[in-house]
Amino acid sequence: MKNSQPKVLMLGWEFPPIINGGLGVACHDLSSAMSELANITMIIPKSSPDFKMKNMNLVGINNLDVNEYGSMESNEKLPFDLKTIPADLNPYYMEEPFQEGKENNSQNSNFSGKVSPFDIDNLYGGDVISKVMQYAEITANLASKMDFDVIHAHDWMTMLAGMKIKQRTGKPLIMHIHSLEVDRSGVDSKGWVYELEKKGMEYADLLIPVSNFTASNIHKYYGISMDKMSVVHNGSNKVKSFKSKRRFKEKTVLFVGRLTRQKGPEKFLDIAAKVLETNPDVRFVMAGVGDYFKSMLEQSAYQHIGNRFHLTGFLNQEKLKYLFSVSDVYCMPSVSEPFGLSAVEAAQFGIPCVISKQSGVAEVLNGSLKFDFWDINKAAGCILNLLHDPILRKKVVEDASENLNNITWDLSAKKIIDAYASRKFI
Amino acid sequence: MPSICFYFQVHQPFRLRNYSFFDIGQSDSYEDDKLNEEVLNKVSEKCYIKTNRKMLELIQRHQGKFRISYSISGTAIEQFEKYRPDVLQSFIDLANTGCVEFLSETYSHSLSFIHSKDEFQRQVKKHSDVIKKYFNQTPRVFRNTELIFNNELASFIEGMGYDGIVCEGVDRLLGSRTPNFLYNSVNTGKIKLLLKNYRLSDDIAFRFSDRGWKEFPLTIDRYAQWVHSIAGNGDTVNLFMDYETFGEHQWESTGIFNFLDALPAEIMKHPDFNFKTPSEVIDSYPARDTYDAHDFISWADMERDLSAWLSNSMQQEAMKRIYSLESEVKACNDPQILNIWERLQTSDHFYYMCTKFWNDGDVHKYFSPYDSPYDAYLYFMNVFSDLECRVKALRKKSKKEMIRSLKRPSAGSRIIEARVVTSAEELYSH
Repeated sequence: MKNSQPKVLMLGWEFPPIINGGLGVACHDLSSAMSELANITMIIPKSSPDFKMKNMNLVGINNLDVNEYGSMESNEKLPFDLKTIPADLNPYYMEEPFQEGKENNSQNSNFSGKVSPFDIDNLYGGDVISKVMQYAEITANLASKMDFDVIHAHDWMTMLAGMKIKQRTGKPLIMHIHSLEVDRSGVDSKGWVYELEKKGMEYADLLIPVSNFTASNIHKYYGISMDKMSVVHNGSNKVKSFKSKRRFKEKTVLFVGRLTRQKGPEKFLDIAAKVLETNPDVRFVMAGVGDYFKSMLEQSAYQHIGNRFHLTGFLNQEKLKYLFSVSDVYCMPSVSEPFGLSAVEAAQFGIPCVISKQSGVAEVLNGSLKFDFWDINKAAGCILNLLHDPILRKKVVEDASENLNNITWDLSAKKIIDAYASRKFI
Repeated sequence: MPSICFYFQVHQPFRLRNYSFFDIGQSDSYEDDKLNEEVLNKVSEKCYIKTNRKMLELIQRHQGKFRISYSISGTAIEQFEKYRPDVLQSFIDLANTGCVEFLSETYSHSLSFIHSKDEFQRQVKKHSDVIKKYFNQTPRVFRNTELIFNNELASFIEGMGYDGIVCEGVDRLLGSRTPNFLYNSVNTGKIKLLLKNYRLSDDIAFRFSDRGWKEFPLTIDRYAQWVHSIAGNGDTVNLFMDYETFGEHQWESTGIFNFLDALPAEIMKHPDFNFKTPSEVIDSYPARDTYDAHDFISWADMERDLSAWLSNSMQQEAMKRIYSLESEVKACNDPQILNIWERLQTSDHFYYMCTKFWNDGDVHKYFSPYDSPYDAYLYFMNVFSDLECRVKALRKKSKKEMIRSLKRPSAGSRIIEARVVTSAEELYSH
């Protein structure tokens, strides 16, 4: 860490060891790469004393004294009007109806914590809005005593905090957009979270969407000018890939992700049915849990492909990697996917990907076959081609491997710092 | 002179373990041996041992006038052989009294009649053989899994040489008629139907310990009164129930054993009433009318139809898949594979997948070893996938061997060789 480096105050929500989806991974990997180029302080709801990061000041609200930061009453008026209704929002589906190799998630929830402002173990459960407001209040109080050049907030949960801090300090506010309410709940969702996102993005000085796809959604559905955005694609960490021997003879097509509308699980099912019409000797494996779990089981039975369509439930990293190591094609039929890190992981394992055009990863993974998420016939055709045509398969895998060289967090970090500089924030 | 005809169902399934996707191709142990043993031991202690002892005592006390019948599934017998030979012996002791009849059913308590007549016949024969082996009886009366019945079954079973079938007395088919007579089926000759009197059966099997029931607590003289009231309008009161009613569904503390103990004497206080086994009822009384079951009926749930096993898409898919493997399984000529496949037909697997959430859903849940019907389906289909892989591998191997034996110069006559060639061609024409 050099003194000449820019000082970045980062606001995060999910962070290791609490990870629910791609956001926690992305925040961790990105901030870790950025810490080579900047002086980073990251404030998150909960940090564990066992979890340290090099070159980075990690502040967990659970380790703060609530008397000092939590109860300071501020009479300041926010520069926007936001109705506050306590709500049991659940933007990321948490229930796990069927678990494979269930992990012990119940770490002791009160480790060394002086304050427990909210139930941190369940970041998206319960009254998530009041959690967001408490986080904003405490973080803003904390930030008043800190020295930094820019505020860098990740997604809607930390937007309110970012706005408060900007209001108090006048520092430039950057919002990193990993996922939007319109991705998660569809373009017609106009609830509290959508309002917060809209107000937040309007108030911010710079938006960093993780893809052009997301940038255009921000423009289209939130009416924000493209001039205010700098797209920075996600990177990925190198993984040790390996191949395992399949324990059955049928080739395998894999889906990994939350079983929610956004990820297009029912598209995967339709694609499977279509492929099986032509080639009955393929197995389709769906790894993940979510509110579509039961309906996937019922629908696969209804379509009479129950013998070829397998749901694994929740999987730990080890099992997931094993699945990658035995799969022949990766399929990501997302309806709206800001990035789609799982496709990169699949590519790292040398699996050819068939991905929806409505995804950010499609912009960087040229070595892949792409389809519009509604185009079941095309996706099924792509999968069949990859399964039957070794030359095509080889070419796609080789091209993807080439692409992977450019999908790095170091590159993402550098682009972000460049964006700060070009806007004269640092 | 009306008779009381008792038939008790004894059945235990081989429950599957939580067989995950990752077990496919990896593990051929499908069943939860520990759980199956535990359940069998529990039910043996609470029900089979105690109730069999009581039945033997009652038969001896009444000097042959108390007569009963059982249907014991093949899977239950296998579990007795494996875990509780003492229970099997106590059934043999009952058989030796000459007052106990054993009925015929499908070996694995399956729904094979609906899906494959060949398999159905094979299983009925296999079950009949095991009954003969242990109880030295050749069954004359048939009961299908969960009393699933229709006209076609009656005529099919008649063709197999049986004299009678036990089935459910369903209100919508009986209309104003009583189940307390023997009936004929449609388009059959002599075969007679014994219809379950579900009210009097369920008074014991389900309502006995129900505190919300207006007749609670049920006294033996009250119950005998209800039975006696059929005098003049009935030949037989058919009391059919799960044997586990005694001690398992109705715990000993409910007084069910005392009730059972007093029952024969109380019934026979009325000089016109006696006890008969199903075959004896058939030999004693004529059929009075025709019972027309065009659609399938059963004794399960409120609907008394097939919905407990075949109402949702998961049940239908699992069922369809398991029977679609029949010809391949049988072509393997591997007794172990056949045995596994037979056990996967057990109706309980499909019962666990039921998603009906009325009163019956509770009953399904009570009996299910899984967290949800979805889990039941998932594990079943994973097991199916593994079995399918094994069957395919075996078939491939045997085809290869056949080709090799063709290439080998053989001392056999040309005619034999020609025949083999034909069958190999047949194989490849598929």
